[in-house]
This record gives sequence, C-alpha cells and structure tokens, in this order.
Amino acid sequence: MTDLKTPAPIRTSGNAPLLSKLSGLRFGNHIGLIVVLAAVLVVTSIGSEAFLTANNIINVLRQVSVIAVIAAGLTLIMTAGDIDFSMASNTAVTTAVLAQLISSGVPAGTAIGIAIAIATAIGLVNGLVVVLTGAASFVVTLATATLLDGLALLVIDGMSVSSGDSLSAYGSGELLGIPYLLITAGFVCIAVGVTMKFTVFGRNAFAIGGNPDVARLSGIAVSRNKLFLFSLNGLLAGLAGVMLLSRLGAASPGNAGLSLELTAVAAVVIGGTALAGGRGTIVGTALGVILLGVVANALNLLGVSSYYQAMSVGAVLLIAAVANQLRKRSAR
Amino acid sequence: MAVKAEASKETEAAEPTPDAVVSLVGISKSFGGAAALSSVDFSLRPGEVHALIGMNGAGKSTLVSVLSGAHMPDTGSVVVDGVAHPGLTPRHARDLGIATVPQRRDLVQELTVAENLLLGSLPTSGGLVSWRRIRREAKSALAVIGVNIDVDARTADLSAAEQTMVEIAREIRRGGRVLILDEPTAALGGAAAEEVRLLVKRLRGQGKSVVYISHHLEEILDLADRITVLRDGTLQLVVANEDLEIPQLVYAMVGDHVVSDRPEQERTPGETRLELRNVSVGHRLAGLDLNVAAGEVVAVLGPAGDAQSLLFPILSGRLRPDTGELTVGGTPVRLGNVRSALASGLRCVTGNRLSYGLVGGLSVDENLLLSRDRFDRRIVVRWKDLRRRALALREKFGVVTLNPNPPVAALSGGNQQKVLLAKWLEGSPEVCFLEEPTNGVDISAKADIHRMVDDFAAAGMGVLLASSDVHEVLRLADRIIVVSAGRVVGHRDVATVTRDELVALTVGESTHD
Repeated sequence: MTDLKTPAPIRTSGNAPLLSKLSGLRFGNHIGLIVVLAAVLVVTSIGSEAFLTANNIINVLRQVSVIAVIAAGLTLIMTAGDIDFSMASNTAVTTAVLAQLISSGVPAGTAIGIAIAIATAIGLVNGLVVVLTGAASFVVTLATATLLDGLALLVIDGMSVSSGDSLSAYGSGELLGIPYLLITAGFVCIAVGVTMKFTVFGRNAFAIGGNPDVARLSGIAVSRNKLFLFSLNGLLAGLAGVMLLSRLGAASPGNAGLSLELTAVAAVVIGGTALAGGRGTIVGTALGVILLGVVANALNLLGVSSYYQAMSVGAVLLIAAVANQLRKRSAR
Repeated sequence: MAVKAEASKETEAAEPTPDAVVSLVGISKSFGGAAALSSVDFSLRPGEVHALIGMNGAGKSTLVSVLSGAHMPDTGSVVVDGVAHPGLTPRHARDLGIATVPQRRDLVQELTVAENLLLGSLPTSGGLVSWRRIRREAKSALAVIGVNIDVDARTADLSAAEQTMVEIAREIRRGGRVLILDEPTAALGGAAAEEVRLLVKRLRGQGKSVVYISHHLEEILDLADRITVLRDGTLQLVVANEDLEIPQLVYAMVGDHVVSDRPEQERTPGETRLELRNVSVGHRLAGLDLNVAAGEVVAVLGPAGDAQSLLFPILSGRLRPDTGELTVGGTPVRLGNVRSALASGLRCVTGNRLSYGLVGGLSVDENLLLSRDRFDRRIVVRWKDLRRRALALREKFGVVTLNPNPPVAALSGGNQQKVLLAKWLEGSPEVCFLEEPTNGVDISAKADIHRMVDDFAAAGMGVLLASSDVHEVLRLADRIIVVSAGRVVGHRDVATVTRDELVALTVGESTHD
C-alpha cells in the first residue's frame, strides 16, 4: 500500500476474521520490509544448514532483545518529533553502575532499582534541558551521549567489572524455551505499541510530532508530555542496561554507547518511523530490529568477513532509505 | 498552422482556436478511475486574461497541471502556437513560455529578492558570483513589470502581495509569456489585492496571456476578458466578460442557486461575553478596544496582515501583547498563555488551518476530537467510541469525505475548514473567535459556513470575526470595526454602512506605501 492511501477504516465488527484482525496491525504498510526479511531468510537457509534451526533463531532474537527495547523507546520519541541519541550511552552507564554495585555487595534487586532510577533521572535531565532551553533534542542528546559514554568508562575505571552469577539466571534463563530477555523485549514492544495506539498519551505523541503548535493550542501539555517521554526513554535505557549486563555477565568498555545507539536508530528508520515526527509504528521497528539481527547472523553463518558484517547495518539502512523514497515517489 | 499528426485522433472533434497562443483540446484525465476532467476545451489568446473558476474539486488544478506539463492527459492535446505537444513535460512547457505561479509562495525565504529573481542563473564573473550584476538584473526584472521592491530585502520580510509580484517578475524574466496564476489574491487585503490586479492588467497590456484562478467573482468581473467555468471536471461555460451575468456564472459553478443572504430576523445582543481593553503590540496594534455580546457577530475588518491578523495570536495565548486586558464571561484572562486562554472557554478558530488548526497527518476523526478529548482528560482511546462521536460531528458540521477516515490534509479546503470549525465549536462555547473562516473554500462550502455562523449567533453564541473580505463581513456581522495600519479607523453598524464605504476605509492612504 502507498503512503498516500488512507489508513484502514476502523472495524466495527467484533468477530472479524483473523486475517483482517492481523491487517489491523497494518502489516500491509511493511510489506517491503517483510519481503526483504523473507528473501534474506531464504537465501541464507540455502547457504547454511545451521541458520533455520530453532536454536539459531532463538539466539538471534535473544541478541536483538537489548536493541529492541532501546528502539521501542526511540520509536515513541521520534514519533513525537524528538530524538534521544543518549539512550545506549545511558545503557552503558547503567551496566557500569549495576556491575559496580553488585560487585561491592549490594543485593541484586536493590542494585537494579538504583541503576534504573539513575537512568530514568538521566532521561529526565535530557528532557528538562530540551524543554526549558528549547535547544534541539538532536544536539542535546548527542552531547549527553558522549558525556555518558565517558561517565560509563569512569565508573568502571576502563576495566571489566563482573556482576558474578547474580543476574545470569535472568540473562540466560528461559521460560518454555523462550529466553527471559526475549520475553522482556516482547513485553516492552507490545506495551509501547498499545500505548501508541490506545492511549491519549500515545496519540499526543503523534499530534506533537505532526504539528507542535496545533498540539499546544489543542490543550495538549506539550512540555509535560516531552518530559515524560524523555524520562520513559531513560527508564527503557536502564532496563536495556540490566538486560545487557545479565547477558554478558560483566560491564566492559564499549559494551553499549553511541555505536549501539546508531544501530537502534537505523532499525527505527528502517521500520518507517519519520525522522520529522508524526508517523511511526512499533511493528515496523520490531521488523527493522529483526532484519538487522538476521542480516548480521546470516553474514556470520555464511562465513563473510567480519569487516563486511560491520558494514551491513549501513547497507541495510541505505537500501531502506532509498526504497522508502522510491515508494513515496511512485505513490504520487 | 497545422496540428501535428500525433494528436489528430483526439483533435478531430474539436479544432484549436486559430488565434490562440495555447489551446487545450478535448482533455480528459482520470486518477484511479475517477474522472478529474472529461473532454474539456480551453484556449488562451495573446494579451488575454482568462479566468478559470469552479468550486473545489471542479478540475481547475488538474487543467492547469495539464497546461503546465505536470500531468499527462489521458486523451486530448496541448497545442502551443498551433503545434501539438504530446508528452509535454514541465521543463518543456517552461521552455515554451508557460509559467506557473502557485498559490503557495515558491521563494527561498532567507535569500534576498535579487537572489530569488535570478535563482538558477546567477550571473558570475571569473567564476565568482557578481553581486553588482545580480542587483542590476534584478532591478531591471522588476522594472519591466512596473514593480518597485527593494532587491536587497530579505524575502521573508516582504508582504504576501510583494512575494507574489516577485514570483511573477521571476517567471517573466525567464521568458514566461503564458502565466498561470493560482489564486494570487487569496488572503490578501483590499489594497494589496488591488496592487496584484493592477500588475495583471499591466502584463496584459504587454501582450502576456494570463490564466487566472480565483474564488472572488467581483475580482474576476474586474479583470478577466473571458471566463471558463468548470464543474465536476466538465466544461460548463465559456463567456466573454461583457456578456456575463453573475447569476448565470454562479449557476454554472454550483449547478444550483446558492442562497447566501443574511437571515431576515434581527439579532438581539445579550450580555457582554468578551472584552478587550487597550491592547497594543509594538507598532502593529495600537490600543484596540472591543467587546462582543451574546448572540451578536462583531467583525474586525482590515487589509490582510493588519491589526485583525494579530487577534488570533493574542486571543489564543500564543502572543503576549505589550499592554491590554482580556475578559471572557466577566472573568479576567491571563494574556500570553495558551492554557489560560483555553480554560477561559473562549474558542479561537485560526484562518491558517494546517499551521495552527489541524494536524494534517492525523485522521479526520482524531482531529475532530483532538481538543475535546484533552479537555475531558481522557486517558484511553476507544476507537469505536471516537468514531461514533466523530460521526455525529461530521453530520452536524457537514464534513463529507470519499474515504472513511482520511488524513485531514487530503481533504478539500472547504471540508478541512468544516473539520476545523467542528473541532472548536462542538461544545457550543459561549463565545468564539473566527479568523478568515472561509479562506480558500469554494462557494457552496462558504455558504454552509455562513449559515453555521448565523445559527450559532441565533443560539446565543457571541462571535468575533476577523476578516479581510468585505463581502463576508457584510454578510455575517452586526457591527464592524475597521482597522488600518494598526489603528481602529471606524466603527460601523451593518445596517447603515455600504460596501464602498468599508472598502474606502480599509484602503486608507496610510495603509500601504
């Protein structure tokens, strides 16, 4: 379907067939992404027997769980016309703080609470700077991102700090064969998706991103909404930090930070969320995250040099950007 | 001259007008199965102003898009100087001298007038931009069409009328001899619109041909040599100005006689609902006083961009005036604060729909309830319930959409305006402010909106109206406050004022330099 086509009418029948219920999620808007994902799956499964195994797929999904949580927060804030470049750096700070707390004997539960509270506070500070000064969130969060990257190194003194076994039950555990990390990421994505579609707060994000002047004149407390969005993104970054540390077992330099952030931004943009705001879907973001994870895994299994693997995110992003533009043009 | 063979199939039925610069012969064009134009003929003679009129969706834009090469017709041909041009592209059309000045100003706002005039062909000497030659050539480009604008001015600082003139000058300089002007006077006040019309007359005197799209019938009668009326994509009428009668023209446009007269019954104003005292904003507004009572319509009339255009920013809370007080329903309201303005119960309807009124990318239903749901502090969106409440508003305010719930930006101007009015007036506020409520809407939507305002006033709503349209003010208002150059220049009662007197007041000497 094209961008200029109208959204699907709201269905009035309660017992619509499954197919039309699914189309309510607007998979049709992401048909290009689904086709590309399918093509990658087919090509790779021909080239590698290990690819289409339950083990490998679960492994890929477990690996992208952290990025999915960050990307979910980004989807919401980018829909509202802002961006938060500091999320993954905030994640790095969280892993550092959490590992230090645990290694110095603080109980895991308390440590997690403190680390997530700090992450949320960092998000709130981002929001306060953006709202009170009116500076562009692009610049403000890029600045805080580098500050936080440095802070994370400072906290662990540039060393690797182990969190011991305290988090490994969560990091490597499973429920009915599904990793806890993946369950967490899925829960966050669904919660963000429901928020965007079924809460006034979520619809406010669309209105603010679409036209902030109209949003304010319509009685939306734009500043308060932004503060809440940035704080929520801080919280999600903190959650991502807990997940990351649980998976890795130690906070090390370069765990997260700006390069991870750029991958998350890429996934969101690949998923069709507008950089200018006013448009965004969590389904697209989830597909974007999965696509990037699958491509990295495929290149790995196909034995492609790791240098090329590093280039894959950029290549996929470029293709998605060009394809989106071509689709827009053909819709006119 | 002979028409080339390629186009002969479609041109057998109708021949191009022999003395025409440009003819469109038997043009049909469909978009996704819906016919936007069906076998429409149109011709333009040298030195002719040919008005193209019709309601929104009549096919005017499609017709001029075909003329300018932006749309390829399904059948029919574009004949320029007797030669058919199948597969006309925008670039080719421009080379042939067909130039479009769109309704939306197409100038780079941060550049100077001179740079905009020469954009794409900046003169250089020795590989470097020659500012001396840019200014000289820009000055001569403006002088050719008899316009006096400072070429060093930043384009954003020009008035809307001046920007239109710069665009026209640019197209003439590039060799334009057939100019398509799409509502060049929309949202311009009396004096500014008159300047643009004078320019069009000068262009005609220089032998240029002009396709003139406008919603203002008076203006068309003043300006056009011939008038073509489209309705629903078909040609209704081609008539020379001297043979024209307005009822015939209106009938051709709407297919029915539109009743847009003032209601018979007298309105009886009640107690004061809104009061502004001594409001000043820099040198743009000097000590405005006004009050609006229940059940009356008070209009502030002025040239476009004059004091009345500050009322929306002030009343909505976007702009804090230097001095002044606002009282709504007897309670003082903090100025310069959007939340206080909303809390006072005053509802302000902007004349600039997509900038300050509606979120273009959101659906009609969401826009309709955008503010209501926030006033009610709703937390959860129930889509079925939203749709049901939106449907009631659509019916009450006459919003018609082809698709079930399109993004509001995809609607026609008239329907967007009705969505905007519904969004703000759904709760029947005690007092409302309407800014240019029929800006860029077609005749029948305009009549609908006027009737709505009548009904609201009859039901006891106090209505403050800001307008640069004299006819609209005479149609709607009980009392008229005329402003010019930031000052009140007259108070008139609608029963005792004439149109000419109002126009004369707005076009006071001090209004424009």
